[in-house]
Amino acid sequence: MVMKNVKNVNFWQIDHKVKSIFALKGIVVLSSTKAWQKFGWTRKFFEEKPKEGYFIWVKRQPDFPLATCITIASPKIYQNLSNLLVIEKGIRAKANVFCNAEKNNLCGKHLAKGKLILKEGVFLEYNHIHKWGEKDFVSPDYEFALEKNSRLIYNYQNLFPPENLEFKTTIHSGKNTSSNLNFVINSLNSKTKVKDTVFLEGKNSQTVVRLRLVGRKKSQIEAISQIFAAAPGKGHLDCQGLLVDKTAKISLIPQLVCQNKEAQITHEASIGKISEEELTYLKMRGLGEKEAIDLIVSGFLKI
Amino acid sequence: MREILLKVDKLKVEGNGKEILKGVNLQIKKGEIEALLGPNASGKSTLAQVILGNPKYKITSGKILFKEKEITKFPSEKRAKLGMALAWQSPPKIKGVKLSQLIEKVSQRKIKIDEAKSLLEREVNLDFSGGEKKISELLQVLSLNPKFVIFDEIDSGLDIKRLEKVARIIKRELIEKNVSILLITHGGQILNYLKPDWTWVMVEGKIICKAKDYKKVLRTIKKYGYEKCKKCKFLAD
Repeated sequence: MVMKNVKNVNFWQIDHKVKSIFALKGIVVLSSTKAWQKFGWTRKFFEEKPKEGYFIWVKRQPDFPLATCITIASPKIYQNLSNLLVIEKGIRAKANVFCNAEKNNLCGKHLAKGKLILKEGVFLEYNHIHKWGEKDFVSPDYEFALEKNSRLIYNYQNLFPPENLEFKTTIHSGKNTSSNLNFVINSLNSKTKVKDTVFLEGKNSQTVVRLRLVGRKKSQIEAISQIFAAAPGKGHLDCQGLLVDKTAKISLIPQLVCQNKEAQITHEASIGKISEEELTYLKMRGLGEKEAIDLIVSGFLKI
Repeated sequence: MREILLKVDKLKVEGNGKEILKGVNLQIKKGEIEALLGPNASGKSTLAQVILGNPKYKITSGKILFKEKEITKFPSEKRAKLGMALAWQSPPKIKGVKLSQLIEKVSQRKIKIDEAKSLLEREVNLDFSGGEKKISELLQVLSLNPKFVIFDEIDSGLDIKRLEKVARIIKRELIEKNVSILLITHGGQILNYLKPDWTWVMVEGKIICKAKDYKKVLRTIKKYGYEKCKKCKFLAD
C-alpha cells in the first residue's frame, strides 16, 4: 500500500529524503532539521538536533485531515526520525500518519521519536498505521502533552508487523483533558514490545486505554500498560490478548499507580485462545479453518 | 421409492470420556421431514453436532453416510459444502462480527426474513434473546442453500406468532424445495405446523421408537412421560 492521494500528504519522506511537503495557509510544515534552525522555541521539544523527520505547526483550523507518510524503499536504511506536531489553542484536527516499507525484505530500521503538543481546548484524532516488511526493526516512541481541556483519540494499527517492534507511548494529561487510546497489535513471526503510560496530572483528567494483541505463528508479545494518577482523575485499562497459534506467547502487565485518593483507576486484562466452539460453529457454516480464524480475529480487533 | 439422504449406522459416541450415544440408527430420505423427540440429556443435540462433524465428540464406532458417501471423518466445513446444515440450539457469540458480515461470507443465495432485519447490524448472538437467536440461525442455514437441515430446538424460546412465522418460512424455503429436515424438539410444538413423515424417540443415547403418527407419540409422552416409551412393546431396534 502506498499513499494514494500524494498531493494531500503534508510531509512525505522516502528513506532519508524529503519527497514532498504540502503546507496550507496557517499550517507550517518543515523538516525537523529546518524547524530547529528556524524556530528556536522548537528546540526544547527535541532531545538533540534532529537529523530527519517532520515539524508540523497547526496555527489555523485545517479543512482537511493532516497526513504524513514515512517510507523505507531501499535496502538496509536506518531512519532516525524526530517529529514534532504542535496544534494551537481550540483547533480540531485529524491526522493520518502512515509509516511503511515498500517491500517485504528491505531489512530497514525505523526509529521515530515524536512529541505532540495539544494546546488548550484542542481535539485531535490521530490515526497511526504501520505496514512493514518481515525483516524490519521499528521503534516509535511518541509523547503527547495534553494541555487544559484538550482531547485526544489515538488509534494505532499495525497491518503487517515487522520482525521487531518496540512501541512506546506516553501521555501527559492536564486539567479536564481526555484521551482514548486504541492499540491494535498484530504479531506474526515477530517480537513485539508495547509500553503505554498515561499520567493523569490534571484535575478531572480522564483516559481509556484499549489494547488488543494478537499472537500469531512464532510471535512473542510483551505489553505493559500503565496509568499513573497524581491528580483526581479517572482511568481505565482494557487489555486483551488472543493467542491464535500454539507457537505464540503473550505477556501482559496492566499497572495502576495511584497517588491521589480522589482518583479512580481500574483495569481489566485477559489472554485467551480462539474458542473451539466458535471455530466449529463457523466451520459448520462452510468456512475453512483459516477463514474462520481470520473472521474471529477481525472481530476481536474491532474496538 | 425415495432415496436415502442421510444414514446413521450403529453410531456410538463419547464426550468427555463418557458414552453419550449408544448405537444410534437413523435414516432420512430425500424431501422427508423427520422429528426427533427425547427428554433432556438424552443425546439429541449430541447427535446433531456429530452429524455435522463437531470434533468435540469422539465416534468410537459406527458410521454416517450422506448421499451414500461415508462422511464419518469429514470436517464440518466439508459437510457444509455437501449441503448439510445445523441450526444450533445455543449458538456461540462471535464478538465484533456483525450478522450481516457472517451472512455475506457464507451465503450461497439471497434470503430475506423481515424479523432478521434488525439483527443484521448486531454482533452475532451477542445479547440476542432466545427468539432472536432462533431467527438468526434460521437466516444463516437458509442462506447456505442446504439439502439437509437439522433444527435443534428451533421452537424453544419462540412465542406462538413467531413459531408460526418460522414454520411458514421453513415450509416455503425448504419443504417446498424438497429439502430434508430433522426437527429436534423437546416439547414438540413445531410438529403441529410442520407435520413430520416420521417421528423418532431417543432416550439415554438410543433411538427407542419410530412412529408414523407424531400426534400419538406426543400424546403418549404427554400422558405417561418417556418412561412409558421405554416399556413400549413396539420399540424400535
